[in-house]
Amino acid sequence: MSGSIAEKIRAFERGRRRAVVLLGVLAAACFVASFFLPWWNFQLFAPQYPKGLTLVIHLTGVEGDAAEIDTINHYIGMHSLADSALLERAASHWIVGATAGLVVAAVLLAGRKLNWLGLAIGMGLPLGFVADTTYWMYRSGHDLDKRAPIHLKPFMPAVIGDGKVGQFLTQAWPAWGFWLAILGVVLLGVATWQRNRVCRVCPRHATCGALCPHTVLGNPA
Amino acid sequence: MLAPSLLLLLASCQNGEAPPPAATSSGGGGDLAAVMAERGLTEDDVLAAAKTYAPSGKLDDYVIFASGGHGGNIIVIGVPSMRILKYISVFGPEPWQGYGYGGLSDDVLYTQGAQGGKEISWGDVHHPNLSETAGDYDGNFLFVNDKANARVAVVDLKDMMTKQIVANPLVMSDHGGAFVTPNTDYVVETSQYAAPLGNEYATIDKYQTDYRGAAVFWKFDKTKGRIDEAASWAVELPPYAQDLADAGKLGSDGFVYINSWDTEMSAGSEGKGKPFMESGASQNDMDYLHIIDWKKGEALVAAGKTKVIKGMRVIPLDVAAAEHVLTFVGEPKSPHGCDVTPDGSAVVVGGKLDTHTTLYDTAKMKDLIAKGQFTGKDPYGVDILDFQSAIRGQKEIGLGPLHTVYDDKGYAYTSVFLDSTVVKWNYKNLDEPTESLGVQYNIGHITAAEGDTVSPDGHYVVAMNKMSQDRFTNMGPLLPQNFQLIDTSGPTMKVIADMPIGLGEPHYAQMIKADKLHTITAYTPPGINPYTDQKSEFAVASGEERIVRNGKKVDVYMSVIRSHFTPDNIEVNQGDEVTIHLTSLEQALDQTHGFAVDMYNINVSMEPGKYEEITFKADRAGVFPFYCTEFCSALHLEMMGYLLVKPEGA
Repeated sequence: MSGSIAEKIRAFERGRRRAVVLLGVLAAACFVASFFLPWWNFQLFAPQYPKGLTLVIHLTGVEGDAAEIDTINHYIGMHSLADSALLERAASHWIVGATAGLVVAAVLLAGRKLNWLGLAIGMGLPLGFVADTTYWMYRSGHDLDKRAPIHLKPFMPAVIGDGKVGQFLTQAWPAWGFWLAILGVVLLGVATWQRNRVCRVCPRHATCGALCPHTVLGNPA
Repeated sequence: MLAPSLLLLLASCQNGEAPPPAATSSGGGGDLAAVMAERGLTEDDVLAAAKTYAPSGKLDDYVIFASGGHGGNIIVIGVPSMRILKYISVFGPEPWQGYGYGGLSDDVLYTQGAQGGKEISWGDVHHPNLSETAGDYDGNFLFVNDKANARVAVVDLKDMMTKQIVANPLVMSDHGGAFVTPNTDYVVETSQYAAPLGNEYATIDKYQTDYRGAAVFWKFDKTKGRIDEAASWAVELPPYAQDLADAGKLGSDGFVYINSWDTEMSAGSEGKGKPFMESGASQNDMDYLHIIDWKKGEALVAAGKTKVIKGMRVIPLDVAAAEHVLTFVGEPKSPHGCDVTPDGSAVVVGGKLDTHTTLYDTAKMKDLIAKGQFTGKDPYGVDILDFQSAIRGQKEIGLGPLHTVYDDKGYAYTSVFLDSTVVKWNYKNLDEPTESLGVQYNIGHITAAEGDTVSPDGHYVVAMNKMSQDRFTNMGPLLPQNFQLIDTSGPTMKVIADMPIGLGEPHYAQMIKADKLHTITAYTPPGINPYTDQKSEFAVASGEERIVRNGKKVDVYMSVIRSHFTPDNIEVNQGDEVTIHLTSLEQALDQTHGFAVDMYNINVSMEPGKYEEITFKADRAGVFPFYCTEFCSALHLEMMGYLLVKPEGA
């Protein structure tokens, strides 16, 4: 092997290491940006609402026709949207901040054995959101006030796709914030894959444990 | 569906054949040809229907604000469908809008609207005028006058509610109002029947010395959307029975023109064998068109050359005459209608008892006044311009020409009462022949699409006929008036729709392009007091509702939302002074509630987000249900509560 080829391989590996960090930082940026965007949309249609009612879910709360939807929902004893997921909403900026910070830290510091950690943390955000939304939807359809004027059998509102409640047809689909978080997860997936390749050719491969002793930006030689 | 069938029919008739069985069917039973045959409709009828019919959900292009006459209201009508969209109560209580039944509107209707300490619960609405910017409708406000009680009201067009009534302290009746100057600096209200100014007493034989007219210039505060009474002023006028008025525009901005019909000062029979007013006022060949230089008047007021009558600054008649704030020019006797052309260059006065309209040249009159060229003075010292020098010409129109409106092509449309016609004529070329269209019957006022602005739109004219006679199924001896929509877009005028007006007797109307209106659908955020446009300090959010007792005064802070009032039980003692502060927490389109207390004559309308306030003395003991009067929801009937008034000593 000539020196120039070895040099080229080292340069390629340096680039790959930098790319991994860049992807991790970009993923973290996606998560932070998603905080400011809507994550999920619900639309409700009924004859008396020719333009439909829209519910826009942000990590920090609900917007759109939330007040009107609450007004209608009280007839079947549903709890106010404004009173749902209060803890998650209050903690949302911490959760997103921590996710972004941990993702960057994991990409920089995690060793070979914890290479999956950044991806796992990143996936936690959209998965956690979907799980939490599903939970609150379940609660809203099941934890109905018994004294409400209209008694419905407990039901599960459609979290995605089409559904029907009373005279309302509902449609639910993810919004930009959610898709941005998914993009972050994809970027982390690529980063994890490439990081795996970096570790495989790393001279300290054999001795590396939970933490990377020199970080991916350092000199492996 | 209609258009192809129509074409088919037209084609078939050109061939001189009977209409073939229609190839298209429009659902709901029947085909066009069969329906036409069955109902006896002509092609013209079907064409008119096609021009005016509004299928469900199709909106109108124009909106008419028509006075309701002694109905005391404003009637809002869509064009071309000629459907009533709304009526707005102004001078009389009206329960649907909750106007005058215990809420905040009581202050406007009964307190502001009182004349000389007397509550008045009706009015005679004559001339609606939309606010203008640079001579064009801006869609913000509407002003109307009450002929019977000399008042002017301000209607806010964002929520179509009467927000202010000003009571004229000088005169006892008005007619030449409510006309706005081109930038709505002033709303002009001119007296009709002369009387001593400020409601003084004088016997009828002192008519010439003590009776007077006045033109009041109400200052409009465009930011607040209210008339500023303290900044308003008036010009004293002779007792000539002033009539219609219009403000100059463009080149004639700064002038107001008012006609008159009793320069004879006939003052009726006086019980002494003199002729009645109708004859006495019609003896002279000429009455006087009043020319008021209001910018000069404004300067005189600023200079303090006024006397104060009942709190209002008035430019005395001798001062107005000497300073040429007031100048006269003759007009054929007992005229009607006083309408400035869109370019501001002329004023058209209808002859009424003369078959002509007269075009006064505004620039010539301005020039004659500036040069001091007068032919004489009236008994009060007012200079008179030479009639022939002041006019551009006269146009033979017909019997009883009254009011004139304009289109975008230089044509004027004059209502002709006795002939029952609308006459179209070219005000820029008086030699062009007129076109006459019969209307049913006895047309009074007339309105055209933006037809009295600096830029009329053309296309539509509405004949406001005083009588309908045989046009509608008889509903007893009090017949409706008849509005007829006229299509002026073609080579000849054509009536394309009739509309009975069975809830008032319209005088003037104005027609504005619908997209110039900026109406709201809710008061946002909830708790807006519509009379201040601010959120009320007494408005409540959900959870803040409460009842506060302070001695005999009880304040109820109530929220209103589908389908409940909170609180829904109010317990008070007989004799308590109760104030209910209502906040609608609704924001959704068309989610209006009502709040009525049985047997207490209380009823308010609660549009989304509105704040209302009801104050009353709980003087009658008992159990009084209160409930939502507007069918708001499936559980509307359940939207109720109780006012429990515990009897004294119980």
